[in-house]
Amino acid sequence: MSTTLYHGEPNGPSLTVLATLFAKEVPAELVRIDLVRGERHTLACAQEPQVAMSVEGEGPVLLVEGEAMTDSVFLACYLDDVGQGAALRPTDPYGRWEAMTWCRQMIERTAPAAAYLGCRAHPPGADAALLERIGSVDLRARWEQILAGNFSEDHLGDSRTKIRQAVEKIEKRLAGRQWLMGTFSIADIESYAWLAGMVPLVPEAFAWRPRTEAWLARVKASPAVAKALSLARTPEPAASWSVGPEINRWG
Amino acid sequence: MRSVTLYHWEPNANSGKPMLALMEKGVAFDSHYLDLLSFDQHKREYLAVNPQGTIPAMLHGDRVLTESTAIMEYVDEVFAGPRLMPADPRDRWRVRWWMKFMDQWLAPSFSMIGWQVFVGPAVRDKDPKELHAAIERIPLPERRVAWRKAISGEFGAEELEESRRRVALGIRMLEEELARRPWLASNQYSLADINGFNLAYGLPVVWPELSNDELTPRILRWLRTIYARPATKACWAMGRTSMAQRVAILEQPHTSPGQPA
Repeated sequence: MSTTLYHGEPNGPSLTVLATLFAKEVPAELVRIDLVRGERHTLACAQEPQVAMSVEGEGPVLLVEGEAMTDSVFLACYLDDVGQGAALRPTDPYGRWEAMTWCRQMIERTAPAAAYLGCRAHPPGADAALLERIGSVDLRARWEQILAGNFSEDHLGDSRTKIRQAVEKIEKRLAGRQWLMGTFSIADIESYAWLAGMVPLVPEAFAWRPRTEAWLARVKASPAVAKALSLARTPEPAASWSVGPEINRWG
Repeated sequence: MRSVTLYHWEPNANSGKPMLALMEKGVAFDSHYLDLLSFDQHKREYLAVNPQGTIPAMLHGDRVLTESTAIMEYVDEVFAGPRLMPADPRDRWRVRWWMKFMDQWLAPSFSMIGWQVFVGPAVRDKDPKELHAAIERIPLPERRVAWRKAISGEFGAEELEESRRRVALGIRMLEEELARRPWLASNQYSLADINGFNLAYGLPVVWPELSNDELTPRILRWLRTIYARPATKACWAMGRTSMAQRVAILEQPHTSPGQPA
């Protein structure tokens, strides 16, 4: 089966997919693209609906037998299904429900907040010609706002709150356990991928959070995540951000 | 008492997803209808079940499950009956991609307009003091904002216009996707179709200028085929409001182009 992964620096959604791919030993050609420069929109599959309209924003693309697949948590579920070795989701249905709802919170609340704060601290860049190629009107609008440096104080404050809430939740969850779901799982990878870069940007969220601090180090040192991080081309991959998911429009 | 209890509102949107999944699997459940328009979901009795005050919630034995899409996956895995997730890993990815796209991108736009034209006006006439107290009881701050906007009709012209753009684009995307295969995300009926039906069953009534037999024949065929399933019929029969009754339009046969709808 021909599999190609187009990915950026190992941070955020690219880190989730790279680490899962390595953990599950799925053979794939790895192709580096500059997500921070919007290079995803130059791929031949860029206008496929699942790429153009991916809720995730500028995430990696997995091409399997010609089908372009996006959205890192679901790519991780796919890789967990087709790969080798230990399962990266709990084996019982209730445990899987917990893992999926955990990741949903990450996708819906934490990821937009982290991408917003990350893009403000480390602005991505794309030229006008590239912006015109972006198929999704709302993704293009997010790019334009970020390139213009328009960050709303409301959204910044709300984003910091969401990061604090995510860390509080992790700290609580880790009472008496090493990993969020009991064993190393997609939930650990996905949570680490969005939060590692938030430590310097929202330091108050991580203050006096000893279990979270130890867990961050544990995830970073896990073989699959360490291998993904070893692909970094910048000194600090957790400072590599591109336009992320939309912050909830309402309710 | 049955081992499954479902707290739900109408067979519509999030509530309808686990209702229909349970009924497709043939799982009998105790139904607790919560009247969203009377703010039952924020009353003490229900907050004891789900402190977030969101619906639906499912009790299975002594476990409480929330988040309608994740509940559906659980229901499919834990109970016997027809499988509602395909066996092929790539098909499963597609089911999840579509459910997320609908849950996070398309449904909020349908919902904003639905709250503007249905939910807001339906509760606006209540005693203002009672309304104020009801809103203050809502646990999630985002939901408090949403209710205030809906009640006072404060959705801005720009955000409503953006929602209309998304509805029109989402309808085109569904129509195109249904040209690729018989069901939305795979060659078998799946959770993506259950999710999609909950979102789209009212389309030909609410958006007749965008979705009809002439413009979107595949969507209409898809909706009619799903509504013809015994589980869907039984599920929508549990509806109590005019909103769920919109499904009746799917009993009408296909209208050929040129004929009056």
